[in-house]
Amino acid sequence: MNPQLKGVEKIEGTHIFNLEASAKALRLNRFLHGLTIPHNRTLFKANPEAALDKADLSAQERRMVRELDWAALIRYGASFFCLEKLGRVKGVSNPEMVAGFRGESLEEFLKTRNVPGAR
Amino acid sequence: MARIIGGIGTSHVPTIGAAYDRKKQSDPDWAPLFKGYEPVKAWLDGKKPDVLVFFYNDHATTFFFDHYPTFALGVSAEYPIADEGSGPRPVPPLKGHPALARHMADSLVNDEFDISVWQDLPIDHGVHSPLTMFWPPSPGWPGKIVPIEINVLQHPIPTPARCWKLGRAVRRALLSYPEDLKVVIVGTGGLSHQMNGERAGFNNEKWDMKFLDLIARDPKKLTAMRHADYIRLGGTEGAEEIMWLAMRGALSPRARKIHQNYYLPMTTAMAVALFEEPATGSESKDARS
Repeated sequence: MNPQLKGVEKIEGTHIFNLEASAKALRLNRFLHGLTIPHNRTLFKANPEAALDKADLSAQERRMVRELDWAALIRYGASFFCLEKLGRVKGVSNPEMVAGFRGESLEEFLKTRNVPGAR
Repeated sequence: MARIIGGIGTSHVPTIGAAYDRKKQSDPDWAPLFKGYEPVKAWLDGKKPDVLVFFYNDHATTFFFDHYPTFALGVSAEYPIADEGSGPRPVPPLKGHPALARHMADSLVNDEFDISVWQDLPIDHGVHSPLTMFWPPSPGWPGKIVPIEINVLQHPIPTPARCWKLGRAVRRALLSYPEDLKVVIVGTGGLSHQMNGERAGFNNEKWDMKFLDLIARDPKKLTAMRHADYIRLGGTEGAEEIMWLAMRGALSPRARKIHQNYYLPMTTAMAVALFEEPATGSESKDARS
């Protein structure tokens, strides 16, 4: 147990990206990180199933990526910063991903923000 | 010897860089952000530093979890702008200062701060999203940078107190560099935000204001806090504030905060604070504290 994080488990709706999550989701995060390389993006856009095959993702991982199930991906252990790469490739903004984590639509989430146009 | 003339704490939200690239200066949704950086830009234009030393975090762009460095110093002459999934930003490659960076590596390691060293790798928005607000290219960059990456992504991340000590060690490294250089220290990240779970979108304006006060007036209070405190008060990604502590640690106790701006339009509290060192004084004495 990391003493710096003692008590963090009491904070609801929060996922800590630690070494356990990192090990569990390493293959998935590697695939997401790989989207920073143009030829990987080209393949993923043209033939997503071939890209998922190449990354050797599990059926569960493929479903979450295919459906852009942001809440499930983050629960599974994906790093938000790797998910951002998928967001950029799919044209999904960060506020839309955050709405997904909260189980809200983008419109619902924007209503809770000070300047909904700033995105 | 190199002189530290001031420091900047700033958020590094990617949309800050995107707002600059899309020329949103007069868009009412973005104008308060640009306005808040104007005094920082004017100060840098007047002081003309040679080098900006950046404490920043990578976002699983340059580095991946197969080997994620806790602290890593860039020693390149040039850093490409990283592709983060939609191609690199349309700004020139960043210019490094390899001679200073190599000296810093020597100094840090001999000071028992065994930092990783990297070169020939691109840099993501952790450095350049705020950089274009206060040191934009026209068409070349006004000066050089030395980047120091800090892991704030994968726990265990370095403690707040350790980041402060890194700042002190970087100060000693800079003050022992023989060439007369003017240096400004930058710490990026924060303030309150959370990018995961049902708590995503969490902000805490009251805590952000307290942080902006303490970072200037009583930073030791901030180094005594644990990550769990930062996460509770400022969200999981609010823990990025430890990079401001490295910046503050590299300044002298006499540095004064001369400007700050706070803007919370969407998911992340976007803040900037400018610190100025007194014009004269025995800086080497401060380096030992």
